[in-house]
Amino acid sequence: MALLNKRLFKKPNIRLEGEAGDGETRQTEQDTLVSCSACGVSVPWKVMLSQDFVCPHCGALQTLSARDRMLWLCDADSFREIDKDLKPIDRLQFPGYAKKLEKTALESGEPEGVITGTGRISGRLCAFFFMNPDFIMGSMGAVVGEKITRLFEYAKKRRLPVIGYAVSGGARIQEGVFSLMQMAKTSGAVLRHSQAGLLYIVVLTHPTTGGVTASFAMEADIILAEPRALIGFAGPRVIEQTMRQQLPEGFQRAEFLLEKGFVDRIVPRNAQKKELYQLLRLHTREASL
Amino acid sequence: MFSKILIANRGEIAIRIIRACKEMGISTVAVFSEADRDALHVSLADESYCIGPAPAAQSYLNMDAILMIARFCGVQAIHPGYGLLSENPEFAQRCEQAGIEFIGAPADVMRKMGDKDMARRTMRQAGVPVVPGCDLVATLEDAIREAKQIGYPLLIKARAGGGGRGIRRVNGESELAAAYRSAAAEAQSAFGDGALYMEKLLLRVKHIEVQLLCDRKGHVVCLGERDCSMQRKNQKVIEESPAVCVSGELRKQLTETTALAAREAGYVGAGTIEYLLTEDGQFYFMEMNTRLQVEHPVTEMVTGVDLVKSQIRIASGQPLTIRQKDVRIDHHAIECRINAEDPANNFRPSCGQIGILHIPGGPNVRFDTALYQGYSIPPFYDSMIGKLIVSARTREDAIRKMQAALCEMVIEGVNHNAQMHLDLLCEPVFIDGSYTTDYLANRKA
Repeated sequence: MALLNKRLFKKPNIRLEGEAGDGETRQTEQDTLVSCSACGVSVPWKVMLSQDFVCPHCGALQTLSARDRMLWLCDADSFREIDKDLKPIDRLQFPGYAKKLEKTALESGEPEGVITGTGRISGRLCAFFFMNPDFIMGSMGAVVGEKITRLFEYAKKRRLPVIGYAVSGGARIQEGVFSLMQMAKTSGAVLRHSQAGLLYIVVLTHPTTGGVTASFAMEADIILAEPRALIGFAGPRVIEQTMRQQLPEGFQRAEFLLEKGFVDRIVPRNAQKKELYQLLRLHTREASL
Repeated sequence: MFSKILIANRGEIAIRIIRACKEMGISTVAVFSEADRDALHVSLADESYCIGPAPAAQSYLNMDAILMIARFCGVQAIHPGYGLLSENPEFAQRCEQAGIEFIGAPADVMRKMGDKDMARRTMRQAGVPVVPGCDLVATLEDAIREAKQIGYPLLIKARAGGGGRGIRRVNGESELAAAYRSAAAEAQSAFGDGALYMEKLLLRVKHIEVQLLCDRKGHVVCLGERDCSMQRKNQKVIEESPAVCVSGELRKQLTETTALAAREAGYVGAGTIEYLLTEDGQFYFMEMNTRLQVEHPVTEMVTGVDLVKSQIRIASGQPLTIRQKDVRIDHHAIECRINAEDPANNFRPSCGQIGILHIPGGPNVRFDTALYQGYSIPPFYDSMIGKLIVSARTREDAIRKMQAALCEMVIEGVNHNAQMHLDLLCEPVFIDGSYTTDYLANRKA
């Protein structure tokens, strides 16, 4: 990732010289190439999108940024972002944190680790949150917690179901106790949303760990997961070192959690849109559309 | 008009071209080497692709990689900037074969003008005065014989030369053999062509060049001259336009000769013809540059013509909209090349991370650069990090403006030559405009 992110510079909306009207279709950053994280083959972004971000060459599941995930899941141009201007502050003056925030924001083009808003899946209106693995591994600081909380409060007020894509390294250590208290705050918001009789579906993606697993990620009415996703509180290496025991094969993977009853269903990426639509259709009244 | 262009270059010129494209509504594709991941042109273009490792030979000169990206992205044209592939006829030809417009001179003209020996002959035929000398010399014995005719001191030059490489000065017969061999070796390694010719060395000359634009309909417009006599080791340091030493009558002659030469060569696009001007007002053809030049902003500032946009328009088949009579030069412009080098330490290149960067501003002050705060200058490429250009109504005002602008410029983190420029601007030979190409070599630091 370059030091200066492309998104820093706006694309001027200038008509091609000598052309009349605005018939010219513009090139966008979505016409760029992306390379597969596993085999390295370069694939046009649009092709990746149409293949549900599964490498057409080797079949590897690609890690999606929050923005890509939103573009992939929601109906075209349906997403309305909320609270997009909330920016983190280095309240504890944690060494190096301010610099890290600045660098990460530049590189990822996002001000924080989650994007929230409303959008549609096959026409059904819904509130969404998408966590961003590109932003300090989607860790939950005060802003992430606040945006999640506000989203649930907004959804409760508007009587909307919530669909969330979780990916996180856990609570953000640089924000100390402020990030820990987000666990309680978000849980409260989820509870109030639930008490209002509204649906909350979460999709756990690789990896969902720490304080996020211990709060809103595991509190959904329906918990889906992507195949092979690592889901847990402490990571397997930490557990192994603490317990001094060999962990079973596939420990903390989505399949393991499904077997133990923590996950309701594992849904391959190409089936997720349909699955989510079906669940929404079954659980929301037509009137709420 | 093209809707998408690939820029096969880096640094400030890549940015200059991207900016022109943006203004014209053209989408841009940048290419970069592994060492240039953080370069500004990569961030500024609409799309950017890595084409190889840091050495230019494996990235910016890698025609296969560039053409592959061009085809993949569906670009209609490639702008080569200056240096790198800009004067490579093979590349122009391969672009043509791939159905992509090469924004530059036609391959055959480039071949004719890139071969300095052939260029001399072509110009002689067109009636353009050339420096007394000889055609290609095949062996050292030939060289010795021809040298007697030309007389010493003389210059040995590579047919394929450019950028000051493959040139040797010979003061007497005793030096000829060594100079011949080293020039041949240098030309062979730099350009893959060791053929040499010789020219009389003209002393105390001015380097004057005339900018021209030619369209496909055969219209030729000359955009005045530039005085590039302030040179160090054949690298231009300061350029200005118009030249103090060129009178109205001489300018008319230069313009007519240049237009004639361009027509004779069948030239298309933006180009420059370089002349040597002697003290008695005689000018000789030196060479033709079939590309955009580093110092093109000087001409842009005095004529108001955007040369990069003109190049793109010409390549897309549009005729020139200006005629010779429309060209008015009513300003004076000066350019100082800012190099990351240490003048106190024999101009050793300097690289490192840019700390504080302050770019001078104000009316008619232009700074073409690829720098930004926090950027690290990679050690693999040219040491030029910026060009400071100013223009004003009179030369005196332009010099004042340049002095003020240079003092305002702050580039922390690397050594650069701004102070040297400030010193030069105050020297009597610069102020009266009488400096010649050998001035810097003989100047005491």
